[in-house]
Amino acid sequence: MRSQVPRGRIVAIDSREARTAAGVTGVFTGRDIGLKLYGRRVRDAPVLAVDEVRFVGERVAAVVAESRSAAEKAAATVVVGVEELPPALEAEQALTPGSPRVHETPWTYPGAVVSEADPHNLQSRVCHGRPDEVEQRLAESRHVVDHVYRFASGHQGYIEPQTCVATVDPDGTVHVWMANKSPYRLRAQLAACLDMPPERIEIHPVAVGGDFGGKGSPMDAPLCVELARRTGRPVKLVQRYDEDLSSANPRHSGRIRVRVGCDGDGRLTALAADALFDGGAYAGFKPIPTVSLHGLADIGSSYRIPAAAVEARIAYTNTVPRGHMRAPGAPEAVFAFESALDELAGEAGIDPAEIRRRNLLRTGEANPWGETWLESRGLETLEAALMAYCPLDLEGGWRHGRGIAVYDRPTSTGKTSLRLLPSGEGIVAEVPMPETGTGAHTVVRDGLARELAIEPGLVEVRQVSTAALPHDDGVGGSRVTAALSKAVAEAASAFIDGGSSEAVTVVVEPGDTPQVTAFCVQIAQVAVDPQSGQVRVLEILSAVDVAEVVNPHAHRLQIEGGAAMGYGLACLEDLVMRDGRVWAANLGGFRIPSTVDVPAWRTVLVEGGSGVGALGVKSVGELSNVPTAAAIASAVADAAGVRVRDLPITAEKVYALLHSEDVS
Amino acid sequence: MDPEFAVPASLDEAVRCLEHEGAVAVGGGTQVGLLLRQGLIEPSRLVWLGRVAGLREIRSDVDGSLLIGSGATLSEIAGSPVVRSAHPMVARAAAHVGNPRVRAVGTLGGHLVHADPRQDLPPCLLVLAAEVRLLGRKGTRDVPLRDFYRGPFETAVQDGELLIRVKIPASPEPTRCCYLRFTPGTSNDYPTVGVAALAEFDAGATRRAAVGLGGVAPRPLLVDLPQLAGRPLDATALAAAGQAAATACDPVSDQRGSAGYKRAMVRLWTERALRACRPLDG
Amino acid sequence: MRLAFLLNGEPFETDAPGGVLLLDLIRDCGLRGTREGCGVGVCGACTVLVDGDPVSSCIYLAGCAQGKEVWTVEGIARREPDLVEAFIEHEGLQCGACTPGQLVMAAALRARGKDPGEAATRDFLAGNLCRCTGYRSIVESVRAALGS
Repeated sequence: MRSQVPRGRIVAIDSREARTAAGVTGVFTGRDIGLKLYGRRVRDAPVLAVDEVRFVGERVAAVVAESRSAAEKAAATVVVGVEELPPALEAEQALTPGSPRVHETPWTYPGAVVSEADPHNLQSRVCHGRPDEVEQRLAESRHVVDHVYRFASGHQGYIEPQTCVATVDPDGTVHVWMANKSPYRLRAQLAACLDMPPERIEIHPVAVGGDFGGKGSPMDAPLCVELARRTGRPVKLVQRYDEDLSSANPRHSGRIRVRVGCDGDGRLTALAADALFDGGAYAGFKPIPTVSLHGLADIGSSYRIPAAAVEARIAYTNTVPRGHMRAPGAPEAVFAFESALDELAGEAGIDPAEIRRRNLLRTGEANPWGETWLESRGLETLEAALMAYCPLDLEGGWRHGRGIAVYDRPTSTGKTSLRLLPSGEGIVAEVPMPETGTGAHTVVRDGLARELAIEPGLVEVRQVSTAALPHDDGVGGSRVTAALSKAVAEAASAFIDGGSSEAVTVVVEPGDTPQVTAFCVQIAQVAVDPQSGQVRVLEILSAVDVAEVVNPHAHRLQIEGGAAMGYGLACLEDLVMRDGRVWAANLGGFRIPSTVDVPAWRTVLVEGGSGVGALGVKSVGELSNVPTAAAIASAVADAAGVRVRDLPITAEKVYALLHSEDVS
Repeated sequence: MDPEFAVPASLDEAVRCLEHEGAVAVGGGTQVGLLLRQGLIEPSRLVWLGRVAGLREIRSDVDGSLLIGSGATLSEIAGSPVVRSAHPMVARAAAHVGNPRVRAVGTLGGHLVHADPRQDLPPCLLVLAAEVRLLGRKGTRDVPLRDFYRGPFETAVQDGELLIRVKIPASPEPTRCCYLRFTPGTSNDYPTVGVAALAEFDAGATRRAAVGLGGVAPRPLLVDLPQLAGRPLDATALAAAGQAAATACDPVSDQRGSAGYKRAMVRLWTERALRACRPLDG
Repeated sequence: MRLAFLLNGEPFETDAPGGVLLLDLIRDCGLRGTREGCGVGVCGACTVLVDGDPVSSCIYLAGCAQGKEVWTVEGIARREPDLVEAFIEHEGLQCGACTPGQLVMAAALRARGKDPGEAATRDFLAGNLCRCTGYRSIVESVRAALGS
């Protein structure tokens, strides 16, 4: 039973009819559970709302029954009396003094990064760089552009919705099966929420039907555990897809203002970026220590910019809490920067490829945020893309456009563990993380096959529960291949040392990893119909800077799937958040790309790079989805002479720019 | 409350089954299944028409008109050589409804009585002056499609009545038709604007022209274009047609576009659809 | 109502509520390969064949399957293992959530004839959403299965 209003005080919950309905085991509210808070970093999300509701879709009461249909029928009879309060529905508004308070004292939550002195609806604020120097350099620049770029809310769009099963043993041990990509973090998050030692919680292996950043939080697990405790039965919760779209943890909406300048030769002088994003009612779905989206703070990172400054603020609002999605903050930051760069190129009369040639980082140069990489192959990657580019023919009436965008993504690694056991002629590899579709288990299989010189078919990869292996950081953060490759190398080595007959367990720490980044340059080709504004994306060409590629097929799928996601963000996806609620609340309304929507994919691998670990790999999981929207927007500008600065790029937006007198 | 599931074997039996209070007719079931799943309807009885004899027939009548039984699936209509030959626009429009799973079982009757103003077939059938036959306990009655749609999801079908067939009169030669569906987002979706254009010619001049519009009014709209009669279908005529269609429509702003944009698209796509109807040598 | 139909080639009989949807009936039988994704008939994760026609079982009234032949992914995989092989060989999957639906569609398409070409294959699969792959490998897998 979920809140129907964005903000209010719970006055009464009438569950009499539900309690006696057929098949119902029990009905529980926040009063029964108590105020228990969970979160990935900030613990501010209640298991069930207590006394107040903060967003449309917030969990208010739970009906437990023998079947899903009995539970749903009974839940529909629960009446929640809420005294509505004025909500804060927009980030800008929420940060003004006197706006409705989403939380009374947000600085008191465990993990909070705000203080009492901050605006009362601030979730996080990150500042980097030297703003004074930036202002001075911008003032002295020959050309400056100053634009605001905007982003609708979207959703990770995994085909399998959020789902969880929990049981509690008589001795209190908790068992959880959940579509979640980081079992050890889940265990720690549950332990913190339920105030129990992590060793008394076991997360069991499951395959995950797509994650894309949306399945890293405890979500419904704490509730299922509490319900299992109170009913003495295993409890299962599977979200209906409309619930997932509107009340799980979709993407932040927001805007970024970019001011960027260059000299007479098109060399960048300074960058000022000001990002304001909507984090929804709870900050607990963001995992990094700053409680921000790290892509925002990396804006402009692929280039040589003498002075840069960024401020990224995320606000609490009375809307669905937002979470991570594949390279969080990066598609937005790159859209804003690359679009501004193209607009700057236009002002300066320089070709978009040329302005990039002049400003892309070269090996040994520090990026605007002070990071220097082992190598910076942006130029080679750009040239490879341009060489491979081939314009497509169009039917009459359509205007052709080409757009370029660049992104670089550092390769991380992480802490993980692995066990090898001999098994007949082959081996079993016990791994601590689930397969979410990215091919993590394949990396293990292929790596072991190579290290042990056996057929891949003789390697069985099996995810085990958290009780069986010490640790894993979880899927995500572009760290899986690097971390697993290291674990595979060490485990194989230890296994061989033991005569290949004894089980070995290894725990790998990241250790000293070289600072490695991978570039992706995309060139989008579009056809625009100026009479309707319709944009057909014909092709996305992705040039990808690679080192060693463990499994070429899986690698290629990450690139193509990433580009598809980038295309969806660019042209289709909008949850249509109005008046605090999601209006596109099913996959008929929230459209993700289908077979006939997607452009053609071309992939060019720019080989010869140097990666991390024994194999020398570079990440690819959060790469090709990032520059796509920027490339498409620039292609549209090239085709039609108009610049769309808010996503998604729709025919109507293009039309309105072209025919400003026609649309009322 | 769990509904009964009735499986009549004849039209008479079907009508009797529908006399029950709270009875709902089911063709392919895609609409009813969806509404049931979402808890939006609570029928006392589901009357499945899948076994009713003769309801799926597609044939030409003696006077040259095309008769399509309401039980024919959209897939059958799209692939029918009879439909493709007599009214290819109808076959092509049917091929675009929903997705292959919808078309495999979704019936013409179910499609028409659902009456979503954005659907593909109603505009096509409107310009072709189609007529539906309804059967109830009082017998049959024929309703021209132009009188069939009352409002969003609202038709002339009364309680206890079934839509049993659609009749499309033969078009005088030469007649050219074209249906264009504008889907700027995902193609596998309702169109933002759908335009079915029809032009009958006589010695190079237009004798009769009309457009059917989907998605831009509370119901599918038929816009007759008398101002085109007696003239060649040239640029001026096309512009006049676009203007007339834009004036006649009454779109609302929604996720697919603002009212102003939809109106502009009605003008554009009316011109394009009629242009595609021009005689090849004209 | 008393329901009887062929399920994966075997006779199947049950008493079921009149409004029961085919997906729920199938999953209650233990056939978990057919999944609820979007729940509104759009994503195709719930695709099964009824008399050779692909349907969205999440919105298909089970009563309409009376006396018909229903095939789920489990039956199709057993009956046409080369379809599964084609998906493996051409890497037509990543997380696997959409894969049963894609396989069932492939079987339906193959029953209609030879490989109809890239565009027609994509059209046929347009109602089966995948968030992982970008579709190239799925289309290749299906066309390979049809060509063979």
